[in-house]
Amino acid sequence: MNLNILWFILVAVIILGWSVMDGFDYGVGGLLNFIAKNNEEKRYVINAIGPVWDGNQVWLILGGGAVFAAFPLVYASIFSGFYLAMMLVVWLIIFRAVSFEFRSKVESAKWRNFWDTDITVTGLGIALLLGVAIANILMGVPLNKEHIDYQSLFSLLNIFGLVGGLISLSMFLMHGSTYLIMKTEGEVQQRARAFAKGFAVAFIIVTLLFLIISPIFAPRLLGNSFGIIGDLVPVIMFIGAIGVILTAGSSSDIKPFAYSIVAIIGAVASLAVGIFPNIVPSSINTKYSLNIYNSASNHLTLLVMLIATIIGLPLVLIYAIYAYKKFGLKVKMDDSSY
Amino acid sequence: MDSTALLLARIQFGMTAFFHFLYPPLTIGLGLLLVITEGTYVFTKDQEYLRITRFFAKLFAINFVVGVASGIVMEFQFGTNWAQYSSFVGAIFGSPLAIEGLFAFFMESIFVGVMLLGWNRLSAKAHWVSTILVAFGSTLSGVWILVANSWMQTPAGYKIGSNGIPKMTNFWQMVFNPYFPSEFTHVIMGAWEYSAFFMAGVAAWFLIKNNKDTVMRKALKVAVIFGVIVACGQIIVGDIGAREVVKYQPTKLAMMEALWHSQRYAPETLFALPNNATESNGPQIGIPSMLSMLSYLNPAAKVMGLNAAIRYINKKDSKLDHTKLTLAMFPPVWIVFWSFHIMMYFGFYFALVMLIALYLLLKNKLFDSPKMLKLLSFSTFLPLIAIELGWFTTEIGRQPFTVYGLLTTFNSVSKNVSAVDLGLSITMFVLIYITLASFAVYLFKRELKERVEGKDELAGESAKAAN
Repeated sequence: MNLNILWFILVAVIILGWSVMDGFDYGVGGLLNFIAKNNEEKRYVINAIGPVWDGNQVWLILGGGAVFAAFPLVYASIFSGFYLAMMLVVWLIIFRAVSFEFRSKVESAKWRNFWDTDITVTGLGIALLLGVAIANILMGVPLNKEHIDYQSLFSLLNIFGLVGGLISLSMFLMHGSTYLIMKTEGEVQQRARAFAKGFAVAFIIVTLLFLIISPIFAPRLLGNSFGIIGDLVPVIMFIGAIGVILTAGSSSDIKPFAYSIVAIIGAVASLAVGIFPNIVPSSINTKYSLNIYNSASNHLTLLVMLIATIIGLPLVLIYAIYAYKKFGLKVKMDDSSY
Repeated sequence: MDSTALLLARIQFGMTAFFHFLYPPLTIGLGLLLVITEGTYVFTKDQEYLRITRFFAKLFAINFVVGVASGIVMEFQFGTNWAQYSSFVGAIFGSPLAIEGLFAFFMESIFVGVMLLGWNRLSAKAHWVSTILVAFGSTLSGVWILVANSWMQTPAGYKIGSNGIPKMTNFWQMVFNPYFPSEFTHVIMGAWEYSAFFMAGVAAWFLIKNNKDTVMRKALKVAVIFGVIVACGQIIVGDIGAREVVKYQPTKLAMMEALWHSQRYAPETLFALPNNATESNGPQIGIPSMLSMLSYLNPAAKVMGLNAAIRYINKKDSKLDHTKLTLAMFPPVWIVFWSFHIMMYFGFYFALVMLIALYLLLKNKLFDSPKMLKLLSFSTFLPLIAIELGWFTTEIGRQPFTVYGLLTTFNSVSKNVSAVDLGLSITMFVLIYITLASFAVYLFKRELKERVEGKDELAGESAKAAN
């Protein structure tokens, strides 16, 4: 295995880390106004992610940095090509990042409602746009000879992109619901169980729809470089979602979340298998596609970054486990909570 | 790429960088001060130091989230707005950014949750360790960001590959590029300096209202002792940094000092009105031979003027980007000159203020001197102005390059982003930044007011103890 393939896998792992860790933050945020009925419950739900969302968000920054360093041409082409869409995501992230801290600082119903709506809207928005962007990449981007693409925000909002958006939206809402099953008790937990089941069903339906229309919009997904084994990878998504449906109503607090992670692993693996060895396929001419070789940094950079990752990632996991342990499995409120 | 889009891209980057950098210095510096005050509490069991820590931790939290939120823009902007830059140097410039995320930002962001929400869940010592990790993580973030920035000032550890794109040949040479040690020290000390003034200013504000407030007396004491060391040290560090500029960035130095033509016995100009059109300064006041002395420790040394420096760069340093530089491509000299000089004057002012405060503290008169308390309170945010002016100097002074001697700004910008897209995004950023800054200021003020009204950060606990 060469470094380019290894870095493709590592970027996929970082995207997986982001989806699993930050994904439930977006989901819980998106659910906030629907699952919590009053201010007490809202604080309860927010404090389920309160101590950890900030650390989780770093996965996104790490992902950005890793693509920048390992595949700079991809970074440059996609980010400038999807300009306004990227800006939209950035604005949502900005408003989301300040909302938790700001919300708790003023005791006024109006002020709190504003930030609660902000948490909900930004959570839903980021979850949706992520899938839109990825579906568009799977479909192919009009990259020209110089690997530059010119697209408007609205050209991204095509049917295939929107179905992709619904996949990520239902996936993160499912993930957030299962996380709340794990972190809460009582009525909120009961509602979370119902939501988890509902979003898992929605996830299965939109994923099926996506697979049915793929041959029309993204025929290259059928001709993936792993053949029949590759075609079977999306099955993992369904196994996870069905697992969520079966366990959400049970007495287990942890199993639904575990199955939800399986579904996300399936989604990221399907994406990786579908696109490899390209990273950004060109819809103009396959010759202009950016793949793991023509978009990568030189050998030394990839090697240095690999060593850094091997040392750094275990440290990150140790910090995260410590933080999650300190705050316990179930949310407990005290005077330092949000 | 038309020139309007280039101009807009530069405005957007300058604006977002300016806004972002209002916040990280306080995260870095106040983080360290919290380590000091909480550590004092842990070892002396003096509850008042815990109160200082918990109060300033709230201000820290507001500042921290706005810093993080605006920082994400910075990372993504390289790809969105400077695609040519990103594809050209990503292999080198991207690695410190990724390493920052992995080694520093995770540590800082995970433990900031533990620190802010874990007061009742951790032992005093374990909590203090979390605070230390937050402070250490934010400083380490600074290390990697400044590796990336200083590499743009003095690129090293690379070779131009066969495809015409620079590739990394030596990681550690890239990291410890010539400008890194002095830039890092200068920026971190600036952050400490600002935080010392921030804590001192806030404490002084409370003491003006009630000079018997023993918690804030202690906070002011910590801030002044820390501040006097940093403010005096910064003058020395700044001087060392300037000498690195002399060595590696002759065009920047010439603009900082408004020196148009090479000169022996060059004066240190204290006041001038530089004019790019006439390539002269009009009226100016300076100390004869001082610039030669400061630059080379020799009053007779010849210092390169801007014209000569441009010729020098064209001949020697342009390794790749074949754009031939002319004076017209450089920024107006007065911007760089005055950014640098006002920053420098501020630096002396800070040292003077802290020395007087220390003198009064030692004489036991500081808390009873309303004038000094007012001066400190008035000075709270002045270091932030100095910090931003420092960035103006280093970033505008680097122009017309993004990577000094290697890549011009003109050849860095995204080709596929239109002026309309940029206009739209700039408008949004202006609106968002005004909103966020207003919220931050509002919340800062609110925290101060709540404390004045007796809603102390430990009031809840004493109430609980009373029950």
